[in-house]
Amino acid sequence: MIFRSNRRPVTKTTILLSVVFFFALAVGHAAAQKKFSRSYPAGQNVRLQLMNRMGTVEVEGWDRTEVSIQAVLEAPAAVIVPQSLSGTIVINVLKDNQGRGEVGSVNFKVRVPYYSMVDIETRIGNLKVTNIRSGLVRAHISSEGDIELLNIYASAVSAENGLGDIFFDGVLSEGGNYRFSSMRGNITLRIPFNSSFRLVATAPSTRNISLGSCAGSDWNYFGNGRRVVGRCGDGSATLTATNQQGSIAFIRR
Amino acid sequence: MTCDECKSLLSSFMDSELDEVQAAFVREHVIACQTCGLVCEDLASILDVCDSDSASELVPPNSLALWRRIHNIIESEIKPLPSEPQVRRHFWQLSVAQLATAMTCIAIVSSLLTIVAIRNYMRPPGDPTIESAASRSIFEKALGKLGLVETPQQARDRRLKQQQAAIDYWNARVQARRERWDHATREAFDRNLQVIDESVNGYTMILEQDPEDDLSGEMLDSVLNEKMNLLRDFSDL
Repeated sequence: MIFRSNRRPVTKTTILLSVVFFFALAVGHAAAQKKFSRSYPAGQNVRLQLMNRMGTVEVEGWDRTEVSIQAVLEAPAAVIVPQSLSGTIVINVLKDNQGRGEVGSVNFKVRVPYYSMVDIETRIGNLKVTNIRSGLVRAHISSEGDIELLNIYASAVSAENGLGDIFFDGVLSEGGNYRFSSMRGNITLRIPFNSSFRLVATAPSTRNISLGSCAGSDWNYFGNGRRVVGRCGDGSATLTATNQQGSIAFIRR
Repeated sequence: MTCDECKSLLSSFMDSELDEVQAAFVREHVIACQTCGLVCEDLASILDVCDSDSASELVPPNSLALWRRIHNIIESEIKPLPSEPQVRRHFWQLSVAQLATAMTCIAIVSSLLTIVAIRNYMRPPGDPTIESAASRSIFEKALGKLGLVETPQQARDRRLKQQQAAIDYWNARVQARRERWDHATREAFDRNLQVIDESVNGYTMILEQDPEDDLSGEMLDSVLNEKMNLLRDFSDL
């Protein structure tokens, strides 16, 4: 009993202190973050051009004629100065913070009209683009990070990264041009069964090229299977995939 | 007797046409006057030449033609004639041997172009990006060995040198800036560079064993570009 009576206050105090500690931690963390939000009216030929330094970028197409930019800035907070130049929304975190020392990550969430051209780039971090129907989708990561392109109907698509996976889920337009390149990771292309394209797929280290539903087509193998070349259907689109130290796989959509 | 009177009578004196008195005066003056004496000597020498047998050699055979030539020379000095235009030899003025050689050369070049065109047309719908060593013709190889055209290996070496120079430049910039990066950035950069270097070393080894492996050559070119781009992108940070 003596023990119990002595322990209860200690336990309560510990719990109370823990709650206070975690609350303070959460508040401190929230205080270390900054938020940025801005919207722009979108014209007919809107184009988003975003260059980030470090952090994730998510771009989503929506059914509105405006561009919404939201960002969460880690400390030390970066400076963001978006510009709207004749239909092009330009966000260049690198340029806006040139000459500064250490700059925290910036995580973007951008919503653009479905028909927008999207050109995003980051030095480190993941990129994700969804629901876009336009002439261009480009995602480039200088070093490491995953690229996800979901529900894309674009005539020109380019996805490049160093270390990380690339996942494309979309439709190949007639006469379109599609390019996927990675140093090390998995390139997965999810396209409709009846897709028509001309392919050059190169996986020199692993030779792991899975053609999925297009496997029945007439393919030519070069360099002991390091490269696969051929046409699927009438080959109206051009698809180039290169993975230096990883695999390339086609799956049915 | 004065010099003028002497000179006027000197010609008659030399022809012995003067009387004894006049001739005596002229003779005395010529002896006494050095100037008139020299004139008399000149006149005497002219008369000697005229009287000699060789005088006929001095007379041109056709004096009229001589004067015409002199006249032409004088006119040419006054108004120089335009230089005579060089006669161009037109291409149809070739010898038979030259024509035959030219026709043979045209035939050979046309045949080679036709062969190349047919080969390109007949090539399976494969990879135009791969031009393997095996697909190159003997003619192309021979030209390469003769040094008339650049071989793929030479072209690759030249390209590698250019890329290496660019890499060195960007690497120097990165090294100057990397101290300002945070820990996460440095680690990410190093990881990527390590993976790229692994690929570079792998392709270099393959090419040392098989220099004609064009796919490895192409991939080496590609990863060196990746390395250059990585360095360039991070040199901004």
